[in-house]
Amino acid sequence: MPEETITLRVDRYRPEQEDEPTAQAYEVPYNEDWVVLDALNHIKDQMDGSLSYRWSCRMGVCGSCGMMINGEAKLTCATFLRDYFPGEITVAPLDNFPVVRDLIIDMDDFMEKLVAVKPWIIRDEEKPIAEGEYLQSPEELADYKQFSQCINCMLCYAACPVYGPETDFIGPAALALAHRYNLDSRDEGNEERKEAVASEAGIWNCTFVGECSEVCPKHVDPAAAIQRTKVATTGDWFKSFLIPGRKK
Amino acid sequence: MNRRRGERDHYEHGAYVPTRPATWWLRNMKYFLFMMRELSSVFIAAFLVLYLYEFFLLSKGSDVHAAFQESLRKPGFIAFYAISLVFAIYHSITWFGVVGRIQVVKIGSFQVPPLLVTAGAFVGWIAASAAIGFLFFALL
Repeated sequence: MPEETITLRVDRYRPEQEDEPTAQAYEVPYNEDWVVLDALNHIKDQMDGSLSYRWSCRMGVCGSCGMMINGEAKLTCATFLRDYFPGEITVAPLDNFPVVRDLIIDMDDFMEKLVAVKPWIIRDEEKPIAEGEYLQSPEELADYKQFSQCINCMLCYAACPVYGPETDFIGPAALALAHRYNLDSRDEGNEERKEAVASEAGIWNCTFVGECSEVCPKHVDPAAAIQRTKVATTGDWFKSFLIPGRKK
Repeated sequence: MNRRRGERDHYEHGAYVPTRPATWWLRNMKYFLFMMRELSSVFIAAFLVLYLYEFFLLSKGSDVHAAFQESLRKPGFIAFYAISLVFAIYHSITWFGVVGRIQVVKIGSFQVPPLLVTAGAFVGWIAASAAIGFLFFALL
């Protein structure tokens, strides 16, 4: 019995040869246990060593292998061929990002915006190490845990119709991470983050399409994080007028 | 942050910056429904302008106001009102439907389940609409 195969139509972009991406079809063995990343690795190892893409952990943790699969932003390590067989699968680089080569996008913009929201614990004053850890109760952990699951895979940026045209927009993952740290009982950096988070390029650029949360492989729900930040920021703004002496 | 994505000089051959087609919102149902929600604002705003204009005409006398009200019975206006009503209900449903995701309600250390918060918002909306409807018909 002949081996079953499935066709992957993969975007190729070789900037030294062409001005824009072209699709190249590869017929790979069909194995119902394979994910799209396995098929790409098969192409790279057995058929065409020039195909370029990012991947690392192969277990939905590193966030490296995000691509557009049949037009949807997905982690290729968690997308099974069997969900598309016997149809074709199109594989393209993540939407809304410049393409450097084949399936590799330029993520510099995301990295700059991530740093802009200061996604780390900020203290007004660090206590000496001798005084021990900053303790946290399970309830305090539960407040932000959902938003700490982000793996920076950028699927939410590829799905966000605002991030594409609005080049200044900080975007879903970075804003969700800012919210995560603002909710952390050990953190005192809310005011410091506001410059970026509450700016025109921050939460107020989000029109709540909600697709970022739909594609998130870790169920972070960045759309909810952004809307909650809008509510909190608006509340802070009103309080700054109503309560004399309170910081804006 | 102010430079445009892709306008970089550190790639020897430059990066390809994709353009988005005007039909991007037809790509999936979520985008389509989002655009419908945005479009609903246009109809609701037009309805409010019309409503305010009607108030303005009250100052011009009952005859002028009555004539305008009569003109609103034309099929075009009735269709406009019907579409506006559908959009207003759709906009309200999408608005109240996400309340539970956005508004965290805590009673002491207990967090009210998001579904209950959303249900509360819908009950409040229906109760307020019923109260306004009751007052409207009571005044007729």
